[in-house]
Amino acid sequence: MWRKEDGKGQEPPEISTGSVNPTTATKPGTSSLSGFAAPPVSSKSAACVSQGIKIKGELTGSEDLFVDGRVEGRITLSNATLTIGPNATVKADLTAREVVVRGRVEGMVSGSERIQVWHTAHIHGELKSEKIGIEEGAELHGKMEAGKPTGPPAVAGSSKRAEPNKHKDAASGEEKSSSGAAVAGAD
Amino acid sequence: MGFLSKLGIAIGGSAPRESVRSLPHGRNGNNGNGRAVAVGPSRQPEIQETTRVSNGLKEFLWNLDGLGRGTLLDLGPAWQTTLSFFIERGFRVTSEDILRGWAEFLREEELHKEERSVENYAQRTPEGLAKKFLNENLKYAPGSFDALLLWDALDYMEPTLAKYTVAHLTELVRPGGGVFAMFHSKKPEGFQRYRVTGTNTLQVLSAKPICPAQKVYQNREIQELFGRYRSVKSYVSRDQLRETLFLK
Repeated sequence: MWRKEDGKGQEPPEISTGSVNPTTATKPGTSSLSGFAAPPVSSKSAACVSQGIKIKGELTGSEDLFVDGRVEGRITLSNATLTIGPNATVKADLTAREVVVRGRVEGMVSGSERIQVWHTAHIHGELKSEKIGIEEGAELHGKMEAGKPTGPPAVAGSSKRAEPNKHKDAASGEEKSSSGAAVAGAD
Repeated sequence: MGFLSKLGIAIGGSAPRESVRSLPHGRNGNNGNGRAVAVGPSRQPEIQETTRVSNGLKEFLWNLDGLGRGTLLDLGPAWQTTLSFFIERGFRVTSEDILRGWAEFLREEELHKEERSVENYAQRTPEGLAKKFLNENLKYAPGSFDALLLWDALDYMEPTLAKYTVAHLTELVRPGGGVFAMFHSKKPEGFQRYRVTGTNTLQVLSAKPICPAQKVYQNREIQELFGRYRSVKSYVSRDQLRETLFLK
């Protein structure tokens, strides 16, 4: 356990210019944007389409992506997480290993591993993944497919459902008819 | 359940969701506006819900027992509880809210009403609308599903649409498959949504009506609607709701 922590400490530091003072980092005689701190840039941080940015077209990649702006077209991340932020408006087909939806999406959402739908999500379209988590308050318009892909069609009569004349006791207070083309109950 | 726990939005877990993952507060889980909301374990208390024992569901599940990895079409809103219940039992679940789809379809039709030519008015008959709706929705290959949850949707459909919908759904169900439906014995005053919480337990949630109730079906009419099914079983409960299981 201690070794693991030691190992973490030995990781190479992230490349970041956020803490660099531009006045000291700039060579004398060269122009600089002195007075403005450079934004943090990290090779490990997720790419971000922030609020106020609008993209039309196709986005592809294999790194995590956070979208909080407007995107129209298609987003495909081969083996990464795509997060649609709460301020995002996306009209696109989304494909990623994991898709987290917190904003507005219009299109087909496909997660090879899973899809998470937060309560702020508003989806018009189709959700398709092996695992889908839907939070209370999420708005879904369209259809959704979840679960492992099924194999060949089940052979009719291979399960208990093929027994048309079985009888089981119903709970008290409820009537029950047997099988056949008959419907019990009061009209 | 393991996966859902990892997501932090699992159902039925002993730990509250907030303890698993810090989500923003102030959730508005109210489905009073009729939205197709999904509901997790920490539902807002203002949602009116009751629990009812469902022998129809119990029988429905009993018939699916032994199927292994089956396919289910849920024609109600996408609830996390229902989804998890069937996925944990190896099902692939497809969810499509048919009443919401119908309401949106009618809204679209109304919006474009003035654009239509005189010739197209024939398409605005109940039959024409039903055919058009089914051409645009419920687009699955024949025999795609082992099981179908229809809930009480037929009570809220125009009779013509109900007739065409049942015929269409019958094509989607595999031979030997089952349909679980409900019929009100009296015209329902409110609008309810249902979700599966146990092998014989349903949660009933009151919601703002998406469509007004259209018809109270008599037994004979139900038999005619589902005439292509080889077996019909019905359970009548005290709350005037007939749970019916149809086996193809």
